[in-house]
Amino acid sequence: MTVAVRTDSLPGEDYRTNRLLMSLAVSLAVVLVLSLWVGWVPISPRELGEIVRAWLGASTSESMESKALVFGLVRIPRALVTALVGMGLSAAGAVYQGLFRNPLVSPDILGVSAGATFGAALGLVIGATGWFAIQSLAFVFGLAAVGMALLIARLVAVRPMLVLVLAGLVVLSVFNSSLTLLKYLSDPYNELPAIVFWIMGSMSRAQWSDLRVVAPIIGGSLVMIHIMRYKLNVLSLGDLQARSLGLNPTLYRLLFIAFSSIIVSVSVATCGQVCWVGLVMPHIARTLVGPNHEQMLPVAVLLGGIFLLLADTAARSLTMAELPISVITAFIGAPLFAYLLYRNRGSGWS
Amino acid sequence: MSLACQNLHFAYNGHAILTAVDLDVNAGEFCVLLGRNGSGKTTLIYCLAGLLRPQKGTVAINGLNLAAASRVEIARQVSLVPQEHADIFPFKVLDVVVMGRTAMLGFNQRPGNADYLAARRVLAELEAESLADRNFNRISGGERRIALLARAILQAENTLLLDEPTNHLDFNNKYRLLAKIKRLCLEKGIRIIASLHDPNLAAQFADTVVMLSDGRVLASGDVHTVMTSERVSQLYQTPTRRIETDDGETLFVPCLPEKESKARLCKGENREWT
Repeated sequence: MTVAVRTDSLPGEDYRTNRLLMSLAVSLAVVLVLSLWVGWVPISPRELGEIVRAWLGASTSESMESKALVFGLVRIPRALVTALVGMGLSAAGAVYQGLFRNPLVSPDILGVSAGATFGAALGLVIGATGWFAIQSLAFVFGLAAVGMALLIARLVAVRPMLVLVLAGLVVLSVFNSSLTLLKYLSDPYNELPAIVFWIMGSMSRAQWSDLRVVAPIIGGSLVMIHIMRYKLNVLSLGDLQARSLGLNPTLYRLLFIAFSSIIVSVSVATCGQVCWVGLVMPHIARTLVGPNHEQMLPVAVLLGGIFLLLADTAARSLTMAELPISVITAFIGAPLFAYLLYRNRGSGWS
Repeated sequence: MSLACQNLHFAYNGHAILTAVDLDVNAGEFCVLLGRNGSGKTTLIYCLAGLLRPQKGTVAINGLNLAAASRVEIARQVSLVPQEHADIFPFKVLDVVVMGRTAMLGFNQRPGNADYLAARRVLAELEAESLADRNFNRISGGERRIALLARAILQAENTLLLDEPTNHLDFNNKYRLLAKIKRLCLEKGIRIIASLHDPNLAAQFADTVVMLSDGRVLASGDVHTVMTSERVSQLYQTPTRRIETDDGETLFVPCLPEKESKARLCKGENREWT
């Protein structure tokens, strides 16, 4: 039997996605550079050149030195941390949506954010010294929350995905109530405002020391998720089909949850809760290149970085006082999400 | 080169589903499982796919003992078209078909151009090439069956397990799908085990038939010798007539007790059954 096979369409599709990825990567770089410019202390391109020359050893004026400090010690690490957190949260969102076969799932579903937030609040109340102690507590409690959800699901051991969602709900509400209790017991003049501001989320705490921790952890997890991303397609068919196709769903699900949870924990530990990135960016990516995670995941990652950089730039330059970044992401993300739901209404979701 | 299952026992929470099932299916054979709802057809298929571990007995496919084999090893030998398919992300049909290559891919690998080409080729062989770029959630039930069949062929050209492939298909599509499956058996020498609800379809397409009743094999063997009116009557617990048409086809028609006239017609033929 002779079979004619069309071969022309494959490279064409690859080419289209590659072009989109390239333009998104360029946009990310442009937004990154732009966010270094914008802010309270205006730095012009000419001054930027001078700062770079000063780093290379040329002598500069007094006023330039303070600008160089703002630029080198505040804006660069902040922009890099923001981009990484945005990319990481978007990847985590895409992973969770694939695993739970539900486009309305965000990385919070297994209680990571709630656990991490509780950990940070605990650190603030018991008077842990230094950001590092508080961040470590946030990180550990974030992972502990997911661990508890996984353990409960493992003990129940039927209908794995459904039980996992319910277990996540249990863990989430336990940590949320514990947080409320902490707030209630805390000193209302110092600790309570500290907790509240911490939860609102802000990139303003990001320093080089944070970047040294955040970059390898989020970067490494992103690389792992990127490498394994094709398996998300198979996992999204459900356990039975994944197994009959020759994939161990339990193992891969555990790996994906572990790397995503690490990303979310580190993000919450560094800059508090940032909502909507992990929910909306994968949606936009799916609208642009379809649901295949091979293409969709890198697109979502780049979009997440761009979105959070823009949101952070807006948060610190729209008004005199810095706005909480979650306010910005929610104001942009929520209407965008509603619009996407409207646009994608015919794509076959039930 | 055969699929052999010996003395298979499977119980779920102490409730026996399969008891002492023996099965032997050669390469290129189309074997149909018949039985009433709850007779254990799906459980048997899942045991053969290595998705359920039987408490007793062995399943071996071409010498590979499923109890000792890894998921990947099993998946390279046996593929399954499941009965229900929940709505998924709006993948393209081609993306769904190419997932048949999962067992060939390592930890960090994803399907390449060769895999996508192979997927298109299988779709073309099933005369469904035009489906490739369509949204899997938006095609008809019959087209979905074809797409999943293509995925299964891409996965393993050795043994295909089909769990009620004709469910929800219309009259015409049932025959077309089974004709395609039958052709696969003949052309590629693929061993196919399918559960069906309609004894007429089995009589028309199967090489061998296994009748399951309450998790036990009631009868098994060549389709013409096994499918007598007595056995079919006993299997479905409904008096059934066997009719030979002029052109050699066999038909089974139930005689419902409320239809007096038909029951009378059956009487002569089915005396042994009651």
